[in-house]
Amino acid sequence: MNVKEKLKNALVEELKLEDVTPGDIKDDAPLFGEGLGLDSLDAIELVVLVQRNFGLTMQDQEEARKAFVSVNSLAAYIEKRLA
Amino acid sequence: MNAVKAPETWSSRSLGSRLQHGIFYRLIGLGGRKAAYALLFFVALGYMLKPEAVRRSAPYLRRRFPGAGFFGRLRRRWLLQWTFGKTLVDRAVAGISGNFEAGVSQEEIAVIHARHAEGKGLILLSAHVGPWQVAMSILPKYLPEPVSVVLHRDAGDIDRHYFEHTGEKPPFTLIDPALGPQSAIAMAQTLQGNGLLCMMGDRPFGGGHVCRVPFLGAEIAVPFTPYYLASHTGAPIVVFLSYRTGPGKVTTTIAGTIRVPPGLGKEAGAYAPFARCFTAMLEQSVAAAPYQFFNFYNMWET
Repeated sequence: MNVKEKLKNALVEELKLEDVTPGDIKDDAPLFGEGLGLDSLDAIELVVLVQRNFGLTMQDQEEARKAFVSVNSLAAYIEKRLA
Repeated sequence: MNAVKAPETWSSRSLGSRLQHGIFYRLIGLGGRKAAYALLFFVALGYMLKPEAVRRSAPYLRRRFPGAGFFGRLRRRWLLQWTFGKTLVDRAVAGISGNFEAGVSQEEIAVIHARHAEGKGLILLSAHVGPWQVAMSILPKYLPEPVSVVLHRDAGDIDRHYFEHTGEKPPFTLIDPALGPQSAIAMAQTLQGNGLLCMMGDRPFGGGHVCRVPFLGAEIAVPFTPYYLASHTGAPIVVFLSYRTGPGKVTTTIAGTIRVPPGLGKEAGAYAPFARCFTAMLEQSVAAAPYQFFNFYNMWET
């Protein structure tokens, strides 16, 4: 399973997204607001989710701002950190 | 989500004008704290009678002092405005001249260090009680870890925070809750990095993520984000309050520790018991220092 798939599975399972399957999540759709529709509570869960599933913590706020945009940007960040 | 809509009636905006604030800041520069207190005496008298100030302070004073007669209400309104004014002057003096004395005991520092040593980050939960901003400014002196403070300013707010007088960077990282998910991520990052996150537990921000808990005899809406953060990161919550004990003198107290178990989900009601712990501590605080509770809006409004 690649990073994007693992990420989408984790989003659906751990954020308990209702009526959404991993296949429904578009790679470039915004995570917050329009798109996946996550809110600020989900944002907290998302930070924890990345740590729990990929062992990564993100200390730089600017880096986080760029990564937590879409599945594409978050997966790219994770892949870069894991490389 | 079962979040309750919060009343959006509080504002960080001062009732005073830019000119009035400027006069105080100049007076502090020229004549120091005593000169500012002298002017404040008359300003506080005016605020004791000013309809907007009366309207804003009445809900708390009615709850805290039920049954007070006309002169009792007048006296309490005066004490609240006078104490609030002196706290603001002290804050400005702290910013302009750096002149304030803070009493943080070794026991309190030891408690903060012990909770922080758990390695999950630490949430310092405070309230708009006493000189809370000045109190938070002293924390980085005692703690080697990065400190972040959740702080919002309304557009057009002219009252300066103490660190804005010098033009220097604040001794902590500011997180504006108005940034929504971005600020939530910054809060979680702070805790993930085993940092200290200071936030307020008594005022909701925006329209959601609140739960209703009793406070002084009726329910108020308080944010449940601190408890949600604690549940998801494992960070303990230390309730940290500050009081003005004299001109330029601040003492701090740790009212208690709140631990929130994991796996509570997103339902507001799941966090209400922990928010209730906090408001119970706040009730003890306003019982001991009734004129140092600075929430000038109707918290009990539904």
